[in-house]
Amino acid sequence: MKYILMMTGKKSDFEGYARWSKEDIQANVSFMRAFSKELKDSGVFVSTEGLGWPSEAKLVRAGKNGEPIIDGVFPESKEFLAGYWIIDVESAEQAYKAAAQASQAPGPGGKPASMPIEVRPVLSGHADLGL
Amino acid sequence: MKYILLMSGTRAGVEGYHAWSKQDIEAHMAALQRINKELTASGEFFATQGLAEPSEAKVVRGEKNGVPVTDGIFPESKEFLLGYWIVDVASVERAYAIAGQISAAPGPGGKPTNMPIEVRQFSKP
Repeated sequence: MKYILMMTGKKSDFEGYARWSKEDIQANVSFMRAFSKELKDSGVFVSTEGLGWPSEAKLVRAGKNGEPIIDGVFPESKEFLAGYWIIDVESAEQAYKAAAQASQAPGPGGKPASMPIEVRPVLSGHADLGL
Repeated sequence: MKYILLMSGTRAGVEGYHAWSKQDIEAHMAALQRINKELTASGEFFATQGLAEPSEAKVVRGEKNGVPVTDGIFPESKEFLLGYWIVDVASVERAYAIAGQISAAPGPGGKPTNMPIEVRQFSKP
């Protein structure tokens, strides 16, 4: 079964991250790389993506004749997707274990950041929606 | 250039969707499938993925010994990711236009849902 592990944060979290020391950021990034490699080596890796900064995010709605209406204003509380992994594992428990590992990525001073990771099954098709 | 188009909704929004008539859901799905087909034909399609219901979501943190601590309680206001499209397009305007198309997909009674679609770039490697 496929699960998605999502890392999210508010604009202020992203700004906080940008203020980490170079060494702390490097340690965090190498941890994430090693984590992705471990997922690949164990054969459960499907995909991973890191997203650009919230400052580049836009919200798009359709106008009357289908033209896009673009807005870049989000509430302070908005949780932006920072990145995700999709893994193919035997059980939810295995997905939670992988998420716990990602959550242990080092933060400032090398201490585990203990970031919350949201875990959800992904749908293999519209049949999963009962359609 | 690759962009990700994110569709999100609150738990209440998802419950509202379940109350749509079968015809409305079918028309909505058909519109989304048509968009996927068009993107595939134009070579702009990269990936799409739908996520399971918010009721199946858990938030996980790692404890010191790596033990996962799971929690299934989220605030009412929480915006859950429902699905995404990744498109490979020539310009950001084109990504916005596709997001507009998705937002125009029909909802109840055939009227456009006007769902907001978040458009994001990928981080530079």
